[in-house]
Amino acid sequence: MAADSGEMRKRTFVVTRFDPDKDEAPRTVTYDVACRPDWKVLDALNHIKDEIDPTLSHRWSCRMAVCGSCGMNVNGEPKLTCKTALSDYGDVVEVAPLANFPIVRDLVIEMDGFMEKFQSVKPWVIVAKEKAAEQGTYSQTPEELAAYKQFSMCINCMLCYAACPVVAKEPHFLGPAAIALGHRYNMDSRDEGAAERNEVFRGEGSVFHCSYANECSEVCPKGVDPAAAVNQAKLLAVVDWAGSFVVERKR
Amino acid sequence: MKTLLLRLEPVIWLLFGAGIMVGTMLLPGYLLTVGLGAPLGLLPEGALGYERAHAIASNPIGRLVLLGIIALPLWKGAHHLRALFADWLGHGPDGLIGSLLYAVAAVGSLLGIYAVLTL
Amino acid sequence: MARPSHPQAMTPHRPGSTRTAAPQVPDDFWTRRRMLTYLLFDATGLPYMLVGLLALRVAFALGRGPEAWARLMQDFSHPLYVAFHVLALIAAVFVGVRFFRLFPKAQPPRIGPAKPPPGLLIHAGLYAAWLGLTLVLLIVLGGLWP
Repeated sequence: MAADSGEMRKRTFVVTRFDPDKDEAPRTVTYDVACRPDWKVLDALNHIKDEIDPTLSHRWSCRMAVCGSCGMNVNGEPKLTCKTALSDYGDVVEVAPLANFPIVRDLVIEMDGFMEKFQSVKPWVIVAKEKAAEQGTYSQTPEELAAYKQFSMCINCMLCYAACPVVAKEPHFLGPAAIALGHRYNMDSRDEGAAERNEVFRGEGSVFHCSYANECSEVCPKGVDPAAAVNQAKLLAVVDWAGSFVVERKR
Repeated sequence: MKTLLLRLEPVIWLLFGAGIMVGTMLLPGYLLTVGLGAPLGLLPEGALGYERAHAIASNPIGRLVLLGIIALPLWKGAHHLRALFADWLGHGPDGLIGSLLYAVAAVGSLLGIYAVLTL
Repeated sequence: MARPSHPQAMTPHRPGSTRTAAPQVPDDFWTRRRMLTYLLFDATGLPYMLVGLLALRVAFALGRGPEAWARLMQDFSHPLYVAFHVLALIAAVFVGVRFFRLFPKAQPPRIGPAKPPPGLLIHAGLYAAWLGLTLVLLIVLGGLWP
Protein backbone atom coordinates (compact mmCIF):
# COMPACT_ATOMS: atom_id res chain seq x y z
CA MET A 1 0.00 0.00 0.00
CA ALA A 2 2.95 2.37 -0.46
CA ALA A 3 2.25 5.55 -2.41
CA ASP A 4 2.56 4.97 -6.13
CA SER A 5 5.09 6.88 -8.15
CA GLY A 6 3.27 9.82 -9.73
CA GLU A 7 0.04 8.05 -10.77
CA MET A 8 -3.06 10.18 -10.35
CA ARG A 9 -6.16 8.28 -9.30
CA LYS A 10 -9.77 9.32 -9.59
CA ARG A 11 -11.67 8.88 -6.36
CA THR A 12 -15.26 9.64 -5.49
CA PHE A 13 -15.85 11.65 -2.32
CA VAL A 14 -19.26 11.43 -0.66
CA VAL A 15 -19.26 14.52 1.51
CA THR A 16 -21.86 15.53 4.08
CA ARG A 17 -23.24 18.99 3.39
CA PHE A 18 -25.50 21.06 5.61
CA ASP A 19 -26.50 24.71 5.29
CA PRO A 20 -28.59 25.72 8.32
CA ASP A 21 -30.25 28.49 6.29
CA LYS A 22 -31.32 26.23 3.45
CA ASP A 23 -31.27 22.55 4.53
CA GLU A 24 -33.77 20.77 6.75
CA ALA A 25 -31.18 18.10 7.55
CA PRO A 26 -27.68 17.10 6.44
CA ARG A 27 -27.39 15.56 2.97
CA THR A 28 -24.52 14.16 0.93
CA VAL A 29 -22.95 15.53 -2.24
CA THR A 30 -20.62 13.49 -4.45
CA TYR A 31 -17.41 14.92 -5.88
CA ASP A 32 -15.03 13.16 -8.30
CA VAL A 33 -11.44 14.21 -7.68
CA ALA A 34 -8.23 13.26 -9.49
CA CYS A 35 -5.99 12.60 -6.51
CA ARG A 36 -2.22 12.67 -6.33
CA PRO A 37 -0.74 9.49 -4.86
CA ASP A 38 0.63 11.16 -1.74
CA TRP A 39 -2.51 13.10 -0.85
CA LYS A 40 -4.24 13.00 2.48
CA VAL A 41 -8.02 13.34 2.82
CA LEU A 42 -7.50 17.01 3.71
CA ASP A 43 -5.74 17.65 0.40
CA ALA A 44 -8.78 16.32 -1.44
CA LEU A 45 -11.14 18.46 0.64
CA ASN A 46 -9.04 21.57 -0.01
CA HIS A 47 -9.01 20.71 -3.72
CA ILE A 48 -12.80 20.40 -3.69
CA LYS A 49 -13.14 23.78 -2.02
CA ASP A 50 -10.53 25.48 -4.21
CA GLU A 51 -11.46 24.02 -7.60
CA ILE A 52 -14.94 22.46 -7.51
CA ASP A 53 -17.24 23.81 -4.81
CA PRO A 54 -16.17 26.91 -2.86
CA THR A 55 -19.19 26.64 -0.53
CA LEU A 56 -17.70 23.64 1.30
CA SER A 57 -16.76 24.45 4.92
CA HIS A 58 -14.27 22.43 6.90
CA ARG A 59 -11.81 23.03 9.73
CA TRP A 60 -8.07 22.55 9.38
CA SER A 61 -4.89 24.37 10.33
CA CYS A 62 -1.46 22.87 10.92
CA ARG A 63 -1.54 20.06 8.34
CA MET A 64 0.71 18.02 10.63
CA ALA A 65 -1.51 16.44 13.30
CA VAL A 66 -0.66 18.73 16.19
CA CYS A 67 -3.47 21.29 16.24
CA GLY A 68 -6.43 18.93 16.45
CA SER A 69 -8.63 21.01 14.11
CA CYS A 70 -9.31 18.61 11.23
CA GLY A 71 -11.12 15.74 12.96
CA MET A 72 -13.84 14.15 10.80
CA ASN A 73 -15.44 10.75 10.22
CA VAL A 74 -13.82 9.11 7.19
CA ASN A 75 -15.60 5.93 6.02
CA GLY A 76 -17.21 5.78 9.44
CA GLU A 77 -14.00 6.06 11.47
CA PRO A 78 -12.91 9.24 13.31
CA LYS A 79 -9.69 10.51 11.75
CA LEU A 80 -7.47 13.57 11.49
CA THR A 81 -7.91 14.28 7.80
CA CYS A 82 -4.44 15.85 7.53
CA LYS A 83 -2.93 12.57 8.66
CA THR A 84 -5.13 10.12 6.75
CA ALA A 85 -3.57 8.92 3.50
CA LEU A 86 -5.90 8.35 0.56
CA SER A 87 -3.73 5.41 -0.49
CA ASP A 88 -5.33 3.50 2.41
CA TYR A 89 -8.74 3.81 0.76
CA GLY A 90 -10.47 2.57 -2.36
CA ASP A 91 -12.50 4.36 -5.00
CA VAL A 92 -15.13 5.78 -2.66
CA VAL A 93 -14.32 7.89 0.38
CA GLU A 94 -17.10 9.09 2.67
CA VAL A 95 -16.33 12.22 4.65
CA ALA A 96 -18.75 13.19 7.41
CA PRO A 97 -18.54 15.61 10.32
CA LEU A 98 -17.26 14.22 13.62
CA ALA A 99 -19.85 11.89 15.11
CA ASN A 100 -21.77 12.72 18.31
CA PHE A 101 -21.47 16.50 17.92
CA PRO A 102 -24.14 18.98 16.78
CA ILE A 103 -23.36 20.03 13.21
CA VAL A 104 -22.89 23.75 12.56
CA ARG A 105 -22.35 23.54 8.81
CA ASP A 106 -21.03 20.90 6.39
CA LEU A 107 -18.06 19.27 8.15
CA VAL A 108 -17.87 21.80 10.98
CA ILE A 109 -19.19 20.71 14.39
CA GLU A 110 -20.21 22.62 17.52
CA MET A 111 -17.26 22.44 19.92
CA ASP A 112 -18.66 24.33 22.90
CA GLY A 113 -20.12 21.20 24.48
CA PHE A 114 -16.61 19.79 24.74
CA MET A 115 -15.21 23.10 26.04
CA GLU A 116 -17.79 23.10 28.83
CA LYS A 117 -16.93 19.56 29.93
CA PHE A 118 -13.23 20.31 29.59
CA GLN A 119 -13.40 23.42 31.78
CA SER A 120 -15.47 21.62 34.40
CA VAL A 121 -12.51 19.38 35.30
CA LYS A 122 -10.33 22.44 36.06
CA PRO A 123 -7.49 21.60 33.66
CA TRP A 124 -4.79 23.70 35.33
CA VAL A 125 -2.37 23.29 38.23
CA ILE A 126 -4.24 24.07 41.43
CA VAL A 127 -2.12 25.09 44.41
CA ALA A 128 -3.35 26.46 47.71
CA LYS A 129 -0.59 29.05 47.78
CA GLU A 130 1.45 30.00 44.74
CA LYS A 131 5.21 29.89 45.15
CA ALA A 132 6.74 33.38 45.32
CA ALA A 133 8.93 34.22 42.32
CA GLU A 134 12.04 34.43 44.51
CA GLN A 135 11.56 30.79 45.57
CA GLY A 136 12.24 29.71 42.00
CA THR A 137 10.45 27.33 39.68
CA TYR A 138 8.67 24.06 40.47
CA SER A 139 10.95 21.08 39.91
CA GLN A 140 9.98 17.60 38.86
CA THR A 141 11.96 14.41 38.64
CA PRO A 142 11.76 12.42 35.40
CA GLU A 143 9.61 9.92 37.30
CA GLU A 144 7.17 12.63 38.40
CA LEU A 145 6.94 13.81 34.80
CA ALA A 146 6.39 10.29 33.52
CA ALA A 147 3.36 9.93 35.81
CA TYR A 148 1.30 12.33 33.68
CA LYS A 149 3.21 13.06 30.48
CA GLN A 150 1.33 10.62 28.27
CA PHE A 151 -2.00 12.23 29.17
CA SER A 152 -0.66 15.72 28.50
CA MET A 153 -0.19 14.81 24.83
CA CYS A 154 -3.89 15.36 24.11
CA ILE A 155 -4.45 17.86 21.29
CA ASN A 156 -8.20 18.21 21.97
CA CYS A 157 -9.05 16.81 18.54
CA MET A 158 -12.17 15.12 19.95
CA LEU A 159 -11.86 11.97 17.84
CA CYS A 160 -12.35 10.04 21.08
CA TYR A 161 -15.79 11.63 21.57
CA ALA A 162 -16.77 10.57 18.07
CA ALA A 163 -15.81 6.98 18.85
CA CYS A 164 -17.25 6.60 22.35
CA PRO A 165 -20.52 4.59 22.63
CA VAL A 166 -21.34 6.27 25.95
CA VAL A 167 -20.96 9.79 24.50
CA ALA A 168 -23.42 8.67 21.82
CA LYS A 169 -26.06 7.86 24.45
CA GLU A 170 -25.36 9.81 27.66
CA PRO A 171 -25.18 13.60 27.17
CA HIS A 172 -23.85 14.30 30.68
CA PHE A 173 -20.81 12.03 30.45
CA LEU A 174 -17.60 14.08 30.69
CA GLY A 175 -16.01 11.99 27.97
CA PRO A 176 -12.53 10.61 27.32
CA ALA A 177 -10.42 13.74 26.68
CA ALA A 178 -11.88 15.83 29.51
CA ILE A 179 -11.37 13.02 32.01
CA ALA A 180 -7.89 12.21 30.69
CA LEU A 181 -6.88 15.85 31.06
CA GLY A 182 -8.35 16.13 34.54
CA HIS A 183 -6.49 12.95 35.43
CA ARG A 184 -3.31 14.48 33.93
CA TYR A 185 -3.49 17.22 36.56
CA ASN A 186 -4.37 14.80 39.35
CA MET A 187 -1.16 12.91 38.55
CA ASP A 188 0.93 16.10 38.38
CA SER A 189 3.12 16.39 41.48
CA ARG A 190 2.77 20.18 41.49
CA ASP A 191 -1.03 19.96 41.74
CA GLU A 192 -3.10 20.01 44.95
CA GLY A 193 -6.58 19.99 43.40
CA ALA A 194 -7.32 16.25 43.16
CA ALA A 195 -10.12 16.40 45.73
CA GLU A 196 -11.98 19.04 43.71
CA ARG A 197 -11.56 17.17 40.45
CA ASN A 198 -12.59 13.84 41.99
CA GLU A 199 -15.87 15.43 43.08
CA VAL A 200 -16.47 16.39 39.45
CA PHE A 201 -15.44 12.85 38.45
CA ARG A 202 -18.09 11.39 40.78
CA GLY A 203 -20.74 13.93 39.81
CA GLU A 204 -23.29 13.92 37.03
CA GLY A 205 -20.64 13.54 34.34
CA SER A 206 -19.37 10.54 36.25
CA VAL A 207 -16.25 8.67 35.16
CA PHE A 208 -18.21 5.55 36.09
CA HIS A 209 -20.41 5.97 33.03
CA CYS A 210 -17.42 4.63 31.09
CA SER A 211 -17.75 0.92 30.29
CA TYR A 212 -14.17 0.49 28.99
CA ALA A 213 -15.13 0.00 25.37
CA ASN A 214 -11.61 1.26 24.61
CA GLU A 215 -12.82 2.83 21.36
CA CYS A 216 -11.37 6.19 22.40
CA SER A 217 -7.87 4.80 22.72
CA GLU A 218 -8.19 2.95 19.42
CA VAL A 219 -8.80 6.21 17.52
CA CYS A 220 -6.55 8.59 19.47
CA PRO A 221 -3.93 9.93 17.03
CA LYS A 222 -1.47 10.91 19.80
CA GLY A 223 -1.26 7.69 21.83
CA VAL A 224 -2.81 9.31 24.90
CA ASP A 225 -4.75 6.15 25.79
CA PRO A 226 -7.69 8.04 27.33
CA ALA A 227 -9.38 4.75 28.23
CA ALA A 228 -6.50 4.00 30.57
CA ALA A 229 -6.79 7.50 32.04
CA VAL A 230 -10.53 7.18 32.65
CA ASN A 231 -10.16 3.79 34.31
CA GLN A 232 -7.21 4.94 36.40
CA ALA A 233 -9.39 7.90 37.38
CA LYS A 234 -12.13 5.52 38.55
CA LEU A 235 -9.81 3.85 41.02
CA LEU A 236 -8.47 7.17 42.29
CA ALA A 237 -12.01 8.56 42.59
CA VAL A 238 -12.96 5.55 44.73
CA VAL A 239 -9.84 5.95 46.89
CA ASP A 240 -10.65 9.64 47.28
CA TRP A 241 -14.27 8.79 48.13
CA ALA A 242 -13.20 6.27 50.76
CA GLY A 243 -10.64 8.68 52.15
CA SER A 244 -13.25 11.40 52.53
CA PHE A 245 -14.92 9.34 55.25
CA VAL A 246 -11.68 9.08 57.18
CA VAL A 247 -10.06 12.46 56.75
CA GLU A 248 -11.85 15.76 57.26
CA ARG A 249 -11.91 17.65 53.97
CA LYS A 250 -10.52 21.19 54.00
CA ARG A 251 -12.09 23.43 51.38
CA MET B 1 -33.05 6.33 41.44
CA LYS B 2 -30.35 7.77 39.22
CA THR B 3 -28.94 9.93 42.00
CA LEU B 4 -28.97 7.00 44.40
CA LEU B 5 -27.03 4.91 41.91
CA LEU B 6 -24.61 7.78 41.31
CA ARG B 7 -23.85 7.96 45.02
CA LEU B 8 -23.39 4.19 45.27
CA GLU B 9 -21.23 3.95 42.13
CA PRO B 10 -17.90 3.60 43.98
CA VAL B 11 -19.19 0.60 45.96
CA ILE B 12 -20.84 -0.96 42.91
CA TRP B 13 -17.67 -0.52 40.92
CA LEU B 14 -15.57 -2.20 43.62
CA LEU B 15 -17.97 -5.17 43.71
CA PHE B 16 -17.88 -5.33 39.93
CA GLY B 17 -14.05 -5.18 39.97
CA ALA B 18 -13.83 -8.05 42.44
CA GLY B 19 -16.40 -9.91 40.39
CA ILE B 20 -14.64 -9.67 37.09
CA MET B 21 -11.21 -10.36 38.57
CA VAL B 22 -11.78 -13.18 41.02
CA GLY B 23 -15.00 -14.44 39.45
CA THR B 24 -13.35 -14.96 36.07
CA MET B 25 -10.42 -16.76 37.71
CA LEU B 26 -12.71 -19.17 39.55
CA LEU B 27 -15.13 -19.96 36.76
CA PRO B 28 -13.15 -22.24 34.40
CA GLY B 29 -12.14 -24.69 37.17
CA TYR B 30 -15.67 -24.74 38.59
CA LEU B 31 -17.39 -25.03 35.19
CA LEU B 32 -15.10 -27.83 34.00
CA THR B 33 -15.84 -29.95 37.08
CA VAL B 34 -19.20 -29.08 38.62
CA GLY B 35 -20.73 -27.81 35.39
CA LEU B 36 -19.47 -30.42 32.95
CA GLY B 37 -17.16 -33.08 34.41
CA ALA B 38 -19.42 -34.46 37.12
CA PRO B 39 -22.77 -34.38 35.26
CA LEU B 40 -21.20 -36.05 32.22
CA GLY B 41 -19.49 -38.72 34.31
CA LEU B 42 -16.01 -37.67 33.22
CA LEU B 43 -14.57 -37.47 36.74
CA PRO B 44 -13.13 -40.33 38.77
CA GLU B 45 -15.67 -42.35 40.81
CA GLY B 46 -17.06 -40.36 43.72
CA ALA B 47 -15.03 -37.21 42.98
CA LEU B 48 -18.12 -35.03 43.16
CA GLY B 49 -20.51 -37.55 44.59
CA TYR B 50 -22.67 -36.02 47.32
CA GLU B 51 -20.45 -37.04 50.24
CA ARG B 52 -17.22 -35.60 48.88
CA ALA B 53 -18.86 -32.55 47.32
CA HIS B 54 -20.56 -31.72 50.60
CA ALA B 55 -17.35 -32.26 52.53
CA ILE B 56 -15.42 -29.89 50.27
CA ALA B 57 -18.13 -27.26 50.34
CA SER B 58 -18.49 -27.44 54.14
CA ASN B 59 -14.83 -26.65 54.60
CA PRO B 60 -14.45 -22.94 55.54
CA ILE B 61 -12.43 -22.27 52.40
CA GLY B 62 -14.93 -24.27 50.39
CA ARG B 63 -17.81 -22.15 51.70
CA LEU B 64 -15.92 -18.98 50.79
CA VAL B 65 -15.09 -20.19 47.29
CA LEU B 66 -18.67 -21.33 46.70
CA LEU B 67 -19.98 -17.97 47.91
CA GLY B 68 -17.48 -16.31 45.56
CA ILE B 69 -18.79 -18.30 42.61
CA ILE B 70 -22.34 -17.30 43.50
CA ALA B 71 -21.87 -13.62 44.30
CA LEU B 72 -18.95 -12.39 42.22
CA PRO B 73 -20.32 -13.32 38.76
CA LEU B 74 -23.65 -11.77 39.79
CA TRP B 75 -22.08 -8.35 40.39
CA LYS B 76 -19.90 -8.53 37.27
CA GLY B 77 -22.89 -9.62 35.20
CA ALA B 78 -25.24 -6.99 36.61
CA HIS B 79 -22.78 -4.18 35.90
CA HIS B 80 -22.05 -5.30 32.35
CA LEU B 81 -25.69 -5.95 31.47
CA ARG B 82 -26.48 -2.49 32.77
CA ALA B 83 -23.85 -1.05 30.38
CA LEU B 84 -25.27 -3.11 27.52
CA PHE B 85 -28.79 -1.83 28.17
CA ALA B 86 -27.46 1.72 28.38
CA ASP B 87 -25.76 1.31 25.00
CA TRP B 88 -29.01 -0.05 23.57
CA LEU B 89 -31.72 1.98 25.27
CA GLY B 90 -29.81 5.11 26.27
CA HIS B 91 -29.40 6.45 29.77
CA GLY B 92 -33.06 7.34 30.36
CA PRO B 93 -34.09 3.95 31.77
CA ASP B 94 -30.62 3.42 33.24
CA GLY B 95 -31.67 4.25 36.80
CA LEU B 96 -34.44 1.67 36.78
CA ILE B 97 -32.58 -1.03 34.87
CA GLY B 98 -29.42 -0.62 36.91
CA SER B 99 -31.34 -0.79 40.17
CA LEU B 100 -33.16 -3.96 39.10
CA LEU B 101 -29.97 -5.70 38.03
CA TYR B 102 -28.06 -4.75 41.19
CA ALA B 103 -31.07 -5.82 43.27
CA VAL B 104 -30.84 -9.30 41.72
CA ALA B 105 -27.11 -9.36 42.46
CA ALA B 106 -27.68 -8.21 46.03
CA VAL B 107 -30.49 -10.68 46.73
CA GLY B 108 -28.48 -13.47 45.11
CA SER B 109 -25.47 -12.62 47.25
CA LEU B 110 -27.53 -12.61 50.44
CA LEU B 111 -29.16 -15.91 49.53
CA GLY B 112 -25.68 -17.21 48.78
CA ILE B 113 -24.50 -16.29 52.26
CA TYR B 114 -27.51 -18.09 53.71
CA ALA B 115 -26.96 -21.13 51.49
CA VAL B 116 -23.27 -21.60 52.34
CA LEU B 117 -23.93 -21.10 56.04
CA THR B 118 -26.67 -23.76 56.08
CA LEU B 119 -24.84 -26.39 54.01
CA MET C 1 -25.42 7.08 5.80
CA ALA C 2 -25.91 8.14 9.37
CA ARG C 3 -28.22 7.57 12.30
CA PRO C 4 -28.92 9.86 15.24
CA SER C 5 -26.95 9.90 18.49
CA HIS C 6 -28.64 11.16 21.62
CA PRO C 7 -30.30 14.46 20.53
CA GLN C 8 -28.35 16.37 23.18
CA ALA C 9 -25.02 14.59 22.69
CA MET C 10 -22.13 17.04 23.23
CA THR C 11 -24.62 19.96 23.14
CA PRO C 12 -23.51 23.08 25.02
CA HIS C 13 -25.75 24.55 27.71
CA ARG C 14 -25.62 27.88 25.92
CA PRO C 15 -26.53 27.24 22.28
CA GLY C 16 -24.65 28.98 19.46
CA SER C 17 -26.12 31.69 17.30
CA THR C 18 -26.98 29.43 14.33
CA ARG C 19 -29.23 26.41 14.00
CA THR C 20 -27.31 23.12 14.27
CA ALA C 21 -28.15 19.69 12.90
CA ALA C 22 -28.59 16.83 15.35
CA PRO C 23 -25.54 14.77 16.38
CA GLN C 24 -25.20 11.57 14.39
CA VAL C 25 -23.16 8.39 14.17
CA PRO C 26 -22.24 6.41 11.04
CA ASP C 27 -24.70 3.66 10.07
CA ASP C 28 -22.17 1.00 11.04
CA PHE C 29 -21.17 2.60 14.38
CA TRP C 30 -22.75 -0.19 16.42
CA THR C 31 -21.94 -3.01 13.99
CA ARG C 32 -18.26 -2.48 13.30
CA ARG C 33 -16.19 -5.46 14.40
CA ARG C 34 -14.42 -3.67 17.25
CA MET C 35 -17.69 -2.33 18.62
CA LEU C 36 -19.38 -5.74 18.31
CA THR C 37 -16.52 -7.31 20.26
CA TYR C 38 -17.04 -4.79 23.05
CA LEU C 39 -20.82 -5.34 23.03
CA LEU C 40 -20.20 -9.08 23.23
CA PHE C 41 -17.92 -8.44 26.20
CA ASP C 42 -20.77 -6.63 27.94
CA ALA C 43 -23.21 -9.36 26.90
CA THR C 44 -21.17 -11.96 28.80
CA GLY C 45 -22.88 -10.41 31.79
CA LEU C 46 -25.84 -12.67 31.07
CA PRO C 47 -24.03 -16.04 31.28
CA TYR C 48 -22.17 -14.71 34.33
CA MET C 49 -25.40 -13.87 36.15
CA LEU C 50 -26.92 -17.23 35.20
CA VAL C 51 -23.81 -19.06 36.43
CA GLY C 52 -24.11 -17.24 39.73
CA LEU C 53 -27.77 -18.17 40.08
CA LEU C 54 -27.07 -21.80 39.13
CA ALA C 55 -24.24 -21.90 41.68
CA LEU C 56 -26.83 -20.79 44.20
CA ARG C 57 -28.85 -23.86 43.23
CA VAL C 58 -25.69 -25.96 43.68
CA ALA C 59 -25.26 -24.61 47.21
CA PHE C 60 -28.90 -25.24 48.13
CA ALA C 61 -28.77 -28.76 46.68
CA LEU C 62 -25.70 -29.56 48.77
CA GLY C 63 -27.55 -28.33 51.83
CA ARG C 64 -30.64 -30.41 51.09
CA GLY C 65 -29.03 -33.82 50.71
CA PRO C 66 -27.99 -36.64 48.32
CA GLU C 67 -31.31 -36.84 46.42
CA ALA C 68 -31.28 -33.11 45.66
CA TRP C 69 -27.66 -33.39 44.54
CA ALA C 70 -28.42 -36.38 42.30
CA ARG C 71 -31.33 -34.49 40.75
CA LEU C 72 -29.09 -31.49 40.12
CA MET C 73 -26.41 -33.59 38.43
CA GLN C 74 -29.14 -35.25 36.37
CA ASP C 75 -30.40 -31.82 35.25
CA PHE C 76 -26.86 -30.62 34.49
CA SER C 77 -26.33 -33.59 32.18
CA HIS C 78 -29.16 -32.38 29.96
CA PRO C 79 -27.82 -31.08 26.59
CA LEU C 80 -29.17 -27.56 27.20
CA TYR C 81 -27.35 -27.26 30.52
CA VAL C 82 -24.19 -28.73 28.98
CA ALA C 83 -24.37 -26.22 26.12
CA PHE C 84 -24.89 -23.40 28.61
CA HIS C 85 -21.92 -24.39 30.74
CA VAL C 86 -19.73 -24.63 27.63
CA LEU C 87 -20.94 -21.17 26.60
CA ALA C 88 -20.21 -19.84 30.08
CA LEU C 89 -16.72 -21.33 29.89
CA ILE C 90 -16.05 -19.62 26.56
CA ALA C 91 -17.44 -16.39 28.00
CA ALA C 92 -15.16 -16.60 31.04
CA VAL C 93 -12.08 -17.16 28.87
CA PHE C 94 -13.07 -14.31 26.52
CA VAL C 95 -13.61 -11.97 29.49
CA GLY C 96 -10.35 -13.05 31.11
CA VAL C 97 -8.24 -12.46 28.01
CA ARG C 98 -9.74 -9.02 27.34
CA PHE C 99 -9.82 -7.91 30.97
CA PHE C 100 -6.27 -9.08 31.79
CA ARG C 101 -5.00 -7.14 28.76
CA LEU C 102 -6.73 -3.92 29.85
CA PHE C 103 -6.26 -4.21 33.63
CA PRO C 104 -2.54 -3.27 33.81
CA LYS C 105 -3.23 -0.07 31.87
CA ALA C 106 -5.92 0.87 34.39
CA GLN C 107 -3.42 1.10 37.24
CA PRO C 108 -2.51 4.73 38.07
CA PRO C 109 1.24 5.54 38.07
CA ARG C 110 0.90 6.13 41.78
CA ILE C 111 -1.71 6.21 44.55
CA GLY C 112 -0.19 8.55 47.12
CA PRO C 113 3.29 7.14 47.59
CA ALA C 114 2.45 3.64 46.33
CA LYS C 115 3.45 2.61 42.81
CA PRO C 116 2.19 -0.41 40.89
CA PRO C 117 4.52 -3.13 39.56
CA PRO C 118 5.39 -2.96 35.82
CA GLY C 119 2.45 -3.68 33.51
CA LEU C 120 4.03 -6.82 32.06
CA LEU C 121 4.49 -8.24 35.54
CA ILE C 122 0.86 -7.57 36.40
CA HIS C 123 -0.29 -9.18 33.15
CA ALA C 124 1.83 -12.28 33.77
CA GLY C 125 0.76 -12.41 37.40
CA LEU C 126 -2.91 -12.36 36.44
CA TYR C 127 -2.45 -15.30 34.09
CA ALA C 128 -0.40 -17.15 36.70
CA ALA C 129 -3.12 -16.67 39.30
CA TRP C 130 -5.78 -17.70 36.79
CA LEU C 131 -3.93 -20.86 35.86
CA GLY C 132 -3.10 -21.60 39.49
CA LEU C 133 -6.67 -21.26 40.72
CA THR C 134 -7.97 -23.32 37.81
CA LEU C 135 -5.50 -26.11 38.56
CA VAL C 136 -6.34 -26.09 42.26
CA LEU C 137 -10.06 -26.33 41.50
CA LEU C 138 -9.50 -29.08 38.91
CA ILE C 139 -7.40 -31.06 41.37
CA VAL C 140 -9.70 -30.65 44.36
CA LEU C 141 -13.06 -30.83 42.61
CA GLY C 142 -11.79 -33.33 40.06
CA GLY C 143 -11.13 -35.86 42.79
CA LEU C 144 -7.34 -35.99 42.60
CA TRP C 145 -6.73 -34.60 46.09
CA PRO C 146 -7.61 -34.82 48.94
